Amino acid sequence: MKFQEELKDSIRKALPDLDVVLGWCGSFDPLHATPHFIRREEDIDKLEISPLSVHNLATYLPGLRGKKVGIVVKGCDSRSVVELLQENLINREDITIFGFPCTGVVDQAKIKKALGHAGNVRTCDISDSAIVIQTEDKAHSLTLTQMLADKCRTCRYPDAIISDYFVGDKIGEPAPLETDYAALEAFESLSVPERFGYWLKELDRCIRCYACRSACPLCVCRDHCAAESRDPHWLSQENNVRDKVMFQVIHAYHMAGRCTECGECQRACPVDIPVLMLKQKMNREIRDIFQYEAGVDPEATPPLLSFNMEEENITEKEW
Amino acid sequence: MKIGVFVCHCGSNIEATVDTAAVAAASREFPDVVFATDTMYTCSEPGQDEIVAAIKEHNLGGVVVASCTPRMHEQTFRRTVERAGLNRYLFEMANIREHVSWIGKDRESNTNKSVDLVRMATEKLMRNRPLYSKKFDINKRVLVIGGGVAGIQAALDCADGGLEVVMVEKAPTIGGKMAKLDKTFPTVDCSSCILGPRMVDVAQHPNITLYAYSEIEEINGYVGNFEIKVKKKATYVDWDSCTGCGICMEKCPSKKATDTFNEGIGKTTAINIPFPQAIPKKAKIDPDFCTKIQKGKCGVCAKLCPSGCINYEMQDEFVTEKVGAIVTATGFDLFDWSIYGEYGAGRYPDVITSLQYERMLSASGPTGGHIKRPSDGKEPKNVVFIQCVGSRDKSVGRPYCSGFCCMYTAKQAILTKDHLPDSQSYVFYMDIRAIGKLYDEFTRRAMEEYDTKYIRGRVSMIYPQGDRLLVRGADTLMGAQVEVDADLVVLAVGAEAAAGAGELAEKLRISYDSYGFYMEGHPKLKPVETNTAGVYLAGACQGPKDIPSSVGQGSAAAAKVLGLFSKDQLESDPQVSVVDIKRCIGCGKCIQTCPFGAIKEMEFRGMAKADVIETICQGCGICTSTCPQGAVQLQHFTDNQILSEVNALCRF
Amino acid sequence: MPVLKGKELRIVGFLCNWCSYGGADTAGVGRFNQPTDLRIIRVPCSGRIDPLFVVKALMNGADGVLVSGCHPRDCHYAEGNFYARRRLEIMQRFLPVLGYEAERFEYTWVSASEGQRWQQVVASFTDQIHKLGPAPKIIGPQAADTLNQMAAAL
Repeated sequence: MKFQEELKDSIRKALPDLDVVLGWCGSFDPLHATPHFIRREEDIDKLEISPLSVHNLATYLPGLRGKKVGIVVKGCDSRSVVELLQENLINREDITIFGFPCTGVVDQAKIKKALGHAGNVRTCDISDSAIVIQTEDKAHSLTLTQMLADKCRTCRYPDAIISDYFVGDKIGEPAPLETDYAALEAFESLSVPERFGYWLKELDRCIRCYACRSACPLCVCRDHCAAESRDPHWLSQENNVRDKVMFQVIHAYHMAGRCTECGECQRACPVDIPVLMLKQKMNREIRDIFQYEAGVDPEATPPLLSFNMEEENITEKEW
Repeated sequence: MKIGVFVCHCGSNIEATVDTAAVAAASREFPDVVFATDTMYTCSEPGQDEIVAAIKEHNLGGVVVASCTPRMHEQTFRRTVERAGLNRYLFEMANIREHVSWIGKDRESNTNKSVDLVRMATEKLMRNRPLYSKKFDINKRVLVIGGGVAGIQAALDCADGGLEVVMVEKAPTIGGKMAKLDKTFPTVDCSSCILGPRMVDVAQHPNITLYAYSEIEEINGYVGNFEIKVKKKATYVDWDSCTGCGICMEKCPSKKATDTFNEGIGKTTAINIPFPQAIPKKAKIDPDFCTKIQKGKCGVCAKLCPSGCINYEMQDEFVTEKVGAIVTATGFDLFDWSIYGEYGAGRYPDVITSLQYERMLSASGPTGGHIKRPSDGKEPKNVVFIQCVGSRDKSVGRPYCSGFCCMYTAKQAILTKDHLPDSQSYVFYMDIRAIGKLYDEFTRRAMEEYDTKYIRGRVSMIYPQGDRLLVRGADTLMGAQVEVDADLVVLAVGAEAAAGAGELAEKLRISYDSYGFYMEGHPKLKPVETNTAGVYLAGACQGPKDIPSSVGQGSAAAAKVLGLFSKDQLESDPQVSVVDIKRCIGCGKCIQTCPFGAIKEMEFRGMAKADVIETICQGCGICTSTCPQGAVQLQHFTDNQILSEVNALCRF
Repeated sequence: MPVLKGKELRIVGFLCNWCSYGGADTAGVGRFNQPTDLRIIRVPCSGRIDPLFVVKALMNGADGVLVSGCHPRDCHYAEGNFYARRRLEIMQRFLPVLGYEAERFEYTWVSASEGQRWQQVVASFTDQIHKLGPAPKIIGPQAADTLNQMAAAL
């Protein structure tokens, strides 16, 4: 990336006052990146920013509370930071935010599907428009826009909303590649039993690993998640699909008015359960009723923590 | 937990449509239930004794009674289990009367439903924990809001009972509506002669602090420990040094100020004392009419005031008072009758309200007690009274009866004849409601001795004819049209909730009905209590009332306060929220949503945590449903308790 | 007890103690006949009702859930029903994505004096649920059990 060196310079400047800076670096193969914790000067050089920088590093922030933390954020990640600030879960003065203009990150599930069973990845070259992946047997050329994560195809915040350092030129508001919630709307047009059966079928695969929860920047209950708690005892520990669905509903409702649709829950799922759709549904209703979007304004009061005596967009049933 | 279940027949109230023996038999199969029986009247003495005996015999750890609504007998049975040595919260009720036996006759469905409700109660009971009240000190001072006759009575009774009283009155003088009346029914004795001494008592009582021309800005706290912020509105006169001499009023050149006390009959000066018997007898400036305040010129009153107490720069001032109980006696206001086009909608000066007429009748009123038409100052000959103006009229949203208008109309008709022996009074009425002691005799006197013509019917139109008013209406008894040439028309306007009643209710956290009148705790058994502990009602703020009823309620409210304060400490309700410190992440969402400010942030090992102030917490549980962590749990209604009820009812 | 087959469906009510529970009592005192499907859980305030209780009830086999509190501006705790209204509305709109008809859940306001209104609410909600029929039930630990039965039913 063009601004990568500029970003490294900024981090170099800020690092003496920080305990750690969160970024990304290369991983086990050229197609993957991994979160990178920069603690020393020499760690800076390993920093890599690319469409493979998929992880929302804001997830680490509440756990690092009390430390001076720098964080590199994509536009969507910055909304999680805003949300954490709004909820009092991190202190602004402890956080140094490095923003850059994000042109989108890939969806590894889409790449995996395109490659099929291709064996090990030898090289991966990403240009503005294509990803060329050399596997053991041949070179695959994929169109970048088609490999982008869904959230990037509808992205309206490519630049960090909040930052102390911003490198590169801001993109502003881009024209989304797709309209919001198109997939959700298609799903909603299915019949009631189809919808009901869909979640049973999808969540049947769930292994209750709770990667969705661990990746979520706003799942902040730490060791006291409703999933495993006995007080309150929302869910049993049995292997049954009812509790698996219920957990996703609990997650979605606890995210209502908070979720920024960063998609980490779905990305982290090892069995590719489309759990983001539940949060999108919640968000779309919140948007329709309250014209509210989470993670945009750290001073805003989220709709479920406030009320109006007369609610303009709520029509109660007449009996 | 060993649980005992008692299924009540309630005579035949339940047994007629529920097989209580079958319910008891089914209950025996539930987890933890070791004893179940059906009993004739569980709430009776033998019924309660049976519970006590069973607790002892079977070593029960908790009890379920399936009977009527817990709103009826929960307290009763809590005392029963306590008598047997159990904590009062190790008890649950299943409502199989109001929610089952009384609403359907299908015995099979009812029995089945009753079993479900008992199951639900036992599942919850298994998760109940003993809860203990805490004792806290009470502040034995009382706030009386409103200085009308009801408030005065409550204040004097409390003060005589040895309590310190703070009275807050929004008008510049106490006395309320009664002070504006000339005479009272059915004795026709002088209103200010009976009220005046009471007002003086308030001013002179060593236990009463009076804030006149003041309003309640804010109320915090709870029964026993309220904190009240009082706004003393700017009077522009230093009341500490004002002697009420009235020189300022004599010399004030601005004589066009609204005379609120006299209901707008005539005008008053910009600086004024409402009436000679006002308590406190202090002057105040109406800034809208004061030339000095409006234009910076004049200053006559400041020059003449012998005690130098005029201050044109005065600002509203706030004082804080701490009290343990509150008596709300904010009274009523008059319906705005100008909505009635048929009565001229306020266009005819000689159509006036009953209270304006009252001021006219009063010797200390603007006309010196002479009845004069507002239009030309002439004495009227024919006076027409129209009743039920803004009462018993659905079309204007006032379907209720204001209660006292029939009586004061009869009184005013009598007084009219006393003042003007040649006059003739007509009363258009719907029904005559004269249900008090000596009331019916009084209305008869108006008709028989004072020759008032009562016409049963409504007035359809008033219109001017020459310098008189033609009143056209129906006489429904004769089945005829009636027309009366009136010189003066007096409207018996009904009572409505006092302006600002709603806002005050929200500060007091009490409820009000759809007309704005405050809701009593129980329509029959708690007429002066509210559902907020430590807040009592007196007088017409609870509903239209005449003087004796208002006074009676004032005394009743005082008795309640004195009863409350007969203890030195109160017990707090232990059904409050409790924070699990290890689950709390200090996000403050509970603090943000608590309507009572009962949750504060505290620091625990360097981390922010929520902390519930038990005495302020009212037990609504909004925090519990707000906290995603489940870290704050309302005791007796925890997530687990409610989940266990859900699970008992919905078992896949 | 199991639901009476062919006669009843399982309806759970969450009622606030101060208004609606009192309203249901008033209906009882007035002997206002009502269908027997509904079982009422008493909570102090509609603001105490976590919308997840509604989902929990449905996923555990309820066919309908009814919430009732004090009328807006008349909450015993001043603000509980205002919060409840927002949260319950969100949940009602969310239910369809899970495969439950939104009409399986309603929330409303009934005061302690409105016995007749309560009767009306119960009658019409019960009727609404009977028109929808039983809600889909999850059977067994694996999805296949439920899916097979749903396929068989279709």
